[in-house]
Order: sequence, then C-alpha cells, then structure tokens
Amino acid sequence: MRAEQKSGSLMAAPYGVFLLVFAVYPIAFALVLVFLQWDLVTAPAFAGADNVRLLVHDGRFWRAVANTFVFLSIHVPLQIVTALGLALALNRQLAGRSFWRAAFFLPVVISGAVVAILWSNLYATDVGLINRVLVKLGASPVPWLTDPRTAMPAIAVMVTWKNVGFYVIIYLAGLQYIPRSCQEAIEIEGASAWQRFRYLTMPSLLPQHILVVTLSTINGFQLFIEPYVMTGGGPLRRTYSVVLYLYNNAFAYQKMGYAATIGVALALIIGAVIFVQRRVIGRAEAL
Amino acid sequence: MPSVSFEHVRKAFGDATVVEDFDLTVADGELLVLVGGSGSGKSTILRMVAGLEEVTSGSIKIDDRDVTALPPRERDVAMVFQDYGLYPHMSVRENLSLGLRLRKIARQEIDRRVTWAAGMLGLAPLLDRKPKQLSGGQRQRVAMGRAMVREPKVFLFDEPLSNLDASLRAQMRIEIGGLQRRLNTTTIYVTHDQVEAMTLGDRIVVLADGRIQQIGRPIELYRAPINRFVAGFIGTPPMNFVDGGLREEDGEVFFRAEGMSIRVPHENAATSKAAESLTLGIRPEDLRLNASTTRAEGGPAGDAFTGRVVLVERLGGTSHVHFDVVGGSRMMASVLNDRLPDVGETISVGVPPDRVHLFAADGRSISNSASLPS
Repeated sequence: MRAEQKSGSLMAAPYGVFLLVFAVYPIAFALVLVFLQWDLVTAPAFAGADNVRLLVHDGRFWRAVANTFVFLSIHVPLQIVTALGLALALNRQLAGRSFWRAAFFLPVVISGAVVAILWSNLYATDVGLINRVLVKLGASPVPWLTDPRTAMPAIAVMVTWKNVGFYVIIYLAGLQYIPRSCQEAIEIEGASAWQRFRYLTMPSLLPQHILVVTLSTINGFQLFIEPYVMTGGGPLRRTYSVVLYLYNNAFAYQKMGYAATIGVALALIIGAVIFVQRRVIGRAEAL
Repeated sequence: MPSVSFEHVRKAFGDATVVEDFDLTVADGELLVLVGGSGSGKSTILRMVAGLEEVTSGSIKIDDRDVTALPPRERDVAMVFQDYGLYPHMSVRENLSLGLRLRKIARQEIDRRVTWAAGMLGLAPLLDRKPKQLSGGQRQRVAMGRAMVREPKVFLFDEPLSNLDASLRAQMRIEIGGLQRRLNTTTIYVTHDQVEAMTLGDRIVVLADGRIQQIGRPIELYRAPINRFVAGFIGTPPMNFVDGGLREEDGEVFFRAEGMSIRVPHENAATSKAAESLTLGIRPEDLRLNASTTRAEGGPAGDAFTGRVVLVERLGGTSHVHFDVVGGSRMMASVLNDRLPDVGETISVGVPPDRVHLFAADGRSISNSASLPS
C-alpha cells in the first residue's frame, strides 16, 4: 500500500508542479497584488485597500461588467439554440455527416484573432459581405461594428459562430446517450415530433444544458480578443469587456495592482453568476 | 375475430432478407409467442407490427384495419422493451401517464387508469420514484403498467425478461401470463427462451432465418416437431440426435447407427424405406436407463443399446446422465434420482419405439409416432 501511494504521488507530481507554477502561484500573486501599487518598473508599494476602493467607484469597470452581461444575454441563449439545433440536424442520417461535423468544428480550432479579422471584413459597413447581401435584398447597409447598438450583438453572434462546434459535440454526445428504446417507446405512445422533443429530448439533455450554460458563461466573461482586435472597446465603450479593461490597466497603464484587483473581482462575479445559474437550473430539474 | 393478421410479410435490409413470407393470423385475446435464435427475424416482425420498421412487401392488419403504412402512434399498440425504455427523468407516475397525457385523455381518467395499473402490479408505493431508484423487476412492472394503462388493441413484448436474473424471470413469467389472461388483450411475445415460449404461449411460432418453421400449441411442437430445427429448439434439455439409416429385417424396421440398432414403428418405415441417411431424435426424458435387459450389441435385438457414462449432473429432482454410445455418438438422458449410474459404468439404454422421431437428410420429420392429444 505504501509503495503504491508513493508511485501514485510520483505520477501525479508533474501535474502537481504544473498546478503550482501556473495556477496556485499566479492566484496567490494576484491576491497579493490587490494590495500593492506596481508599475512593473519601480519596486511595488503597499497600497492598502486603495485598489478595492477605486474599483468600487470606477464607472468604467462597471460599464465593462454591464457590457459583458449584454454580451452574455445574447451569446448564451443563442449558443444553446444554435448548438442544439445543429446537433439535432447532425444526429440524423444525412449524407456527408462527418464532413458537416468537421466543418462546424473547424472555427473552434482557428485562432481567435484570425476569426476576428475575418469577421471584421464580413461586418465592414461598405464592402462587407453581409451588407452587400443586405443591399442586394433591398435593405440599407448596417454599420455593424461602429453603431453602439449593434456592435456588441455583432460580436456576440460572431463568438457564438466560432464556438458552436464545441457545444454541438457536447449535445451530440447527449443525444446519442438517449436510449433508443425510450425514443421508440414515446413514438409508440403517440408523441408527435414536437412532443418527443419536449418530453424526452430536452429533459434528457439537462446535464448538457448545464454544461453548455456554465462553459459559455465562463467563456463569455473572458471576452477579450474580439473587442481587442475588432473595436478596441468602442464605439462609446459599448464593447469594452472586463478582460479588455484588465489588460489595458496592466499593459497600457502599467497598473498591475489595479489589474489584479479587476481579475479577482471578475473571478468573484463569475463564481456568483455560476452559483445562481446552478440554483436556477437545479430548481428547474426538481420540477 | 382476427386481431392481428400478417399477409405475406417480407422484410429486407438492402440485399439481406430477414423475414420471408410471414403469413399468420393472431386471434383476439391470444398470446402468440415468436421464438427463435438471434437473427431469426422475431424482433423484426414485432417491430413491424409496432411500426418501428417498414414492411418491405405484404401487409399487416390490426382489427381488420390495414396499418402497414401507418406511423407507430396511429396503430394503437403498446410495447414492452427488453431494456424497459422507461423515461429516466420522469417518476413512475409520469412514466405510466405520459402516453395518456400525450393523447389528451381527461385527467380523472388518467388517474383512474394509473391507480388501476399500479394496484394490479403492486406499484402503488413506488409512484413517486424515478426509474433508477427501482430494482430490475420493479422497472419491468412499470414497463408493463405503461403498456396496460394505454388499453391498446395489442401488447407487444420484446424479450421483456432477458435482463432479469433467473428466479425473477420465472416469477415475472408467471405474472405476465396471469396478467394477459385477466386483461385478455391480444399479445405478441418475442423471446429466445423456449421455456418462456412453452409456458406462456397459447400458440408458438418457431422461426429460423426469417422463415416460419412451425406454428402450433406448445405441446404440439414438443410432441410432433415438424423438422429437426424445431425438435432441437423446443424442449430442455435438448433432444438427442443420432445419424444413421433404416434397414428392414424379418418384417421389422430398424434404425441403425454405430453402436445401436433401434426398432422403429412400421408406419415410419413405410414412408422412408429408401432413406439411407437420416437422423433419429429422442428426448433425454424418454430414454430409460437400465430399463431393458435386452442387449443391443449382439444384433438386431430391439429397443436398447449400450453406453458408457462420462458425466452425471445432479440437478436435485432429476439428473442428467451423459454417456457415449459404444462406438458412436454422445447422448444424454434425463432421469429421476432413484438410481444413478457411476461415471465409467456401462449402462443399457432403453428406447421406447413410440418416442422416436426420425428426420430426413433435409431435416424434415418423417415420423408421426408421437401421438397428439386431440
């Protein structure tokens, strides 16, 4: 037993070291930084609760939090609907199924910056493909990324497109887990296609719904590359995300202490939101 | 009134025909068992009745209504699946009532039927549990209850007891039989287990390779199997088979094989005198150990032969004695425990001529020696 424990610890050691260096140490460092003022050049100085006080009254930070919630309110529902819809379609016997599955997964593995540049072109007001189609259809072009009302929704649609393949895989796994006899039983019992979806498919996918909501929420809070590349946070700071604000504080304004404070605050907000989500979904499950 | 009728039903998947010319009528209230090995097409037939598989050609009628092209929900059948097919996220009550709710049955009527089925199946204390909180036998009952509350024209059972352990299977078998008789609902029951078939079926259809081998009451199939396949499939332990030929001597007909010469009744021989190569079948329970002192070794003496015991399986009430016919094949006798031979002992094995089955080279039965009750 002793020898077994020893070899077990030994085998776990590489990951343990990884965890220490890349998770425990940065988290501890960030927590310490919250109470420091540091510009990366001069020696850090103790700042007490200054950073926290500043954050609580920082309108730009709360604007970024609000922006992120706007993003989530579009991204998460849209992600569920598109991923579930595609999964249902791809779960059928259709020609070239593996091609379609690969095609929808491809954007997931493409670099976020590349996707952002691609979509900047698609969204471009004068020459973008989307507006060209709109004009062809007789509509007037929309300044997707330069209108404060459309910029964040446009980014949310794009992020949804990029990640949909990942969530499709989660839903496909869930769909294939529904026993065939259950599907046949409900068909014999008289369910229409909609009733089968409503009474069997949707409730059977509850674990997948929880996973997709949780992951897309966490992922959404970390929105960064897209506004960084496409809008720089504009127009009128409407696409300024929390992580973009954190990044600028750290590397544009050299306020490492304040950036760390934003990071810790973001972690707490994510934790709180996920907690509430789980409670709500848990209650839905009990019904 | 016929309840379910199959008219020349054929089913093919691509080039592979899995059911060939299935033509049969199931009477109202009858419990018909489809029995066969894997790949015999029995489940496919059941699934065609349910509408889960399309019929390639031919037609299926339920109560004189052609349902061949109807979707499952318009056929008014209920099915019990091998793995039960219970909805895991629903309570027992919801599982029982879903089909009725989907059909917009009045709430009071739903409650009445659920209470009735739960009472009949002993599910009342379990109504608020989820399937995963139930034992295998309880899940099986929920699956049956779900079929019952629908009050369908036809029950379809697809190997419903295969996932249960032996003792539970025996118990549920009795319950299903009793339930079907009380409800008097036409039932088609698929199984690979011939004991289930024998004990449950009003009639049994034996299938092999997608073709009907024989249709009959259980005792008919047991006493007068129409071919070697049915003879080997029906009855536990299975029938002994010995390859040999017929010879006529002194006005009597004998079946001769290595180490044995058995007198067979005349009427068999008449139809098959020419048969050089055929197979004798005898059920283990029909063999009589030490029953006759007549020795077969010496010549065409008659109704016994000699064997050497290789294994004795004691089952309690009866025992299985495996023995090698001297110079010939291995056989098995099922005997009461009064006096059991020892391994290695040489025994005399008696064969009552009226219990002998003879099969032609193509497997067809050429004997009708086993008389049927009228």
